[in-house]
Amino acid sequence: MTSQADTELRLAVMSRWRRSVDELTAGRRRQQAECERAQNALSRVTSCFQQLAASLGSSADSSFLREEMDETRALAHRICSGLSRRLLRLLSACDSAPVACDSAPVACDSAPVAVDDRHAAERLWVLFLSAVENFLSDLRRAKDLIGQFPLTQRSSRRSLVNTGCTDGPVGLAARVALVQIPWLVLEEEPSPDLTNHIASLEAQLGELQQRVPVAFWSVESTQPAWAEVLSDAEDPEESLEDLMEVEVASSGGGSIRLPACCQGTCCWVG
Amino acid sequence: MTIRNALRDHGQRYRPRMACLKKAEKVLLEMQDPCTGVKSQPQRLVITIIPHAITGEDIIAWLADRFQIDAQEARSFGSMLVALGYIYPLQDHKRLVIKPDASLYRFQTPYFWPTQQWPVEDTDYAIYLAKRNIRKKGILELHEQEQYNHLHKWMNHKWDFVVMQAKEQYRAAKERKKPDRVVFDCQERAYWVVHRPPPGTVSAMDYGLDRRTDPNTDETQTPDYYERIMIFTQQSIMRPRVKSSVSIGALVKYSATYSGHDPFLSKCLPSSPWLTDDTTYWTMNMSNVEIPTKMRVERWTFSFKELLSDPRGRDDFRLFLKKEFSGENLAFWEGCEDLKWGTAVTMREKAEQIYKTFLARGAPRWINIDGKTMEITVKGLKHPHRYVLDAAQTHIYMLMKKDSYGRYLKSPVFKETLKKAICPEEHKFNEVQLEQNARNRRPSLSPIIIRQQEQEQRAKMAANAPVDITQLCRFTTPVPHLAVYTGIPDPPSVTASPSLPFLAHTPVCPSPISVALDSTSASERRMEASDGEGNAEVRAPEGGNLSKSRMALSLRRLLKRGCSPSAMFASLSPKCHTAATTSSRIQPITPDEPSQAPPRRIGNFFQIKVDIPPECRIYPIESEDEDEENRPASRDAVVTEEIICPWESLTRQNGTG
Repeated sequence: MTSQADTELRLAVMSRWRRSVDELTAGRRRQQAECERAQNALSRVTSCFQQLAASLGSSADSSFLREEMDETRALAHRICSGLSRRLLRLLSACDSAPVACDSAPVACDSAPVAVDDRHAAERLWVLFLSAVENFLSDLRRAKDLIGQFPLTQRSSRRSLVNTGCTDGPVGLAARVALVQIPWLVLEEEPSPDLTNHIASLEAQLGELQQRVPVAFWSVESTQPAWAEVLSDAEDPEESLEDLMEVEVASSGGGSIRLPACCQGTCCWVG
Repeated sequence: MTIRNALRDHGQRYRPRMACLKKAEKVLLEMQDPCTGVKSQPQRLVITIIPHAITGEDIIAWLADRFQIDAQEARSFGSMLVALGYIYPLQDHKRLVIKPDASLYRFQTPYFWPTQQWPVEDTDYAIYLAKRNIRKKGILELHEQEQYNHLHKWMNHKWDFVVMQAKEQYRAAKERKKPDRVVFDCQERAYWVVHRPPPGTVSAMDYGLDRRTDPNTDETQTPDYYERIMIFTQQSIMRPRVKSSVSIGALVKYSATYSGHDPFLSKCLPSSPWLTDDTTYWTMNMSNVEIPTKMRVERWTFSFKELLSDPRGRDDFRLFLKKEFSGENLAFWEGCEDLKWGTAVTMREKAEQIYKTFLARGAPRWINIDGKTMEITVKGLKHPHRYVLDAAQTHIYMLMKKDSYGRYLKSPVFKETLKKAICPEEHKFNEVQLEQNARNRRPSLSPIIIRQQEQEQRAKMAANAPVDITQLCRFTTPVPHLAVYTGIPDPPSVTASPSLPFLAHTPVCPSPISVALDSTSASERRMEASDGEGNAEVRAPEGGNLSKSRMALSLRRLLKRGCSPSAMFASLSPKCHTAATTSSRIQPITPDEPSQAPPRRIGNFFQIKVDIPPECRIYPIESEDEDEENRPASRDAVVTEEIICPWESLTRQNGTG
């Protein structure tokens, strides 16, 4: 009699436990997906920032460009801080998951799941840190350039380098505005200026590395080499050589298109 | 992760300062001025028109005008700007040179400038390659493919980030207007042509090894920093001064002498390998070449230092000295150099070996240095360090320079070499041949192999060392394992071991005086010199005047005997069995010699008593001298002596090794 009651009790406990584990797993998955989306968004924002920074000091430089840069930077800052918090939470959750698994009386099949989750979380972590590092180097370069080419006076425009670019931020602003991250609206923070931003990012990076002991060499990439070649199914892009064709009026009256960059046979790949 | 680690590991991780970059930036900013800068024109493409293209000839003309230089130099200057990456060519984008015609160039945006503070990141290169992959559907150049694979392997942990960022950057670039897109793509491509050139290209960004300190950081003003400044200024004040007329005169003389030999200022025969990729010049001027070039031989006449620093010249000089029987000077000098520059482990042994071979009483290749220097050297050898033989080395160097060098330049050896020296003809390569040479570039011999060859050569030379003394003894045997002679060897076999191959053939052992007499040019002087003077030179008395007079006494006595010195000393030397006066020739040791213990007669100059204080150890004991004379050929089993270095303790318990 008592044994049957025991078994029933155990089963009830088990099912409740399993349900909670499932809920936990689902919650974690949701968080992971959110972090991945945020990571994509961070990449987008940093690429736009790089495009803007490439025009600093050139003829396309203007105060408008610098304002755009500030806004982009602020957005990146918000994404970074939110993402770092969530990743920390995710990693600590993954840490505790195997512990809960061990205490179950029955061998649970969520153990491999937890390990997978842990791997995924670590991968996201490593990607996040790489992105922050990359962004940091861009920020430093931008700071140096702004220092070197201050646009305070009218005469300083004469020293801007004539690179052929005419206007920079058109189109990029729109792209940046497309970024949709859930916490952007929720967590409003004041955005720091450039120097403080760099300093805080550096500090954050060091701190994050020390707090979370993730072995970055254990993370492997999900794509093999040369995979991105096949990935882009968007509109076929013309190569730089095609873009740089010049029209040469031939003697026969028609016009021949010649590649402007390489006249000789020295490169066939360009 | 390439995050800057908090550890200070004092590693060499920093790019060295390239001072030309700041200067180039200044020039570039001057070029931008709408009035006084370089004239720009729009570049007409099929799809659009892009402004701010400049022609090569305009750039060169502007540079020549601004700096008041001729067209050739302006062209080199312009090429340097292109090679550094401040201007990039629009046509023929892989060749970073300025063509003095209407070919088009454009200025690089400051974001892509090769500034000192921003090192080139591999992550950025990986992103760039991934972007190119996407764009060109995987068709990359060979070196780019290799780099891609390499980076994929080493950056595998962040590869997803790389690909994601590449895609995003690609899409972000598409948002821009067409002309700006083209310009940005050109800029990025030019940036990577400068910083990741194909292998085998001579790149302006090559800088050799990384440095230990970051040139971008300011030096902190610690007390240590100020102390260094103070020491520096104090030393500047203490420095001896030279009149500017004298120093400038020396510079002018140097320039006049060497200008014909400078590969930058004058032609390099047959051709400069850096310009034509032809290595004949190097092979002809290698250190072990049989027939040197005329230019090289001419350099030897400039100064003694030139002669010695050229290995081929040193060989020639060594040959000359061998003929003159004064090779020990050069050998000693080389030994000192070896000691100075050698490893610390072998220093002690080397110092001992040099002392035994060159400096000690009875040394086989005794060098002639003055008493004071000998005193200093021997004192210093008690605690040998790297520079202990410096004084003696300088003395010998000056001796060779003032004496032997002059005679060498007039000698038949030198004249022969000069006659045989070759003067190669200049190469005249055309473009095709130059490109072929560039393709056939090969790396030179590894320095490890070169060092091994040098060591083999040195060992070979040591093995058949030119023995410039007329008599051989076991002390002239090259001792490869640097055996340390210590104490009194009780079993004779122990002492016989190091020099076995030589023992059978060694006749008598000469004393230093005979060596000196035969080999040095100062030998004649010594024989004629008065005793006191000669002795003061040769054996600086460290003890009291007593020993000086005793030594004077002994030498005088010996010289008065009227025999030839060699016979006299032969009689006194350890290995001679025959009566002193009867033989005036050196006799070889009889073949049964090695088997038995050769009874060691102690020559006056070798005996060292145990109870004598260490300082007087190297000087002969006069009391024995008198005794010796009374028993000329007695065969007492006497205490034999090895040459004991003055810094070794005199306990007899020192075994071999």
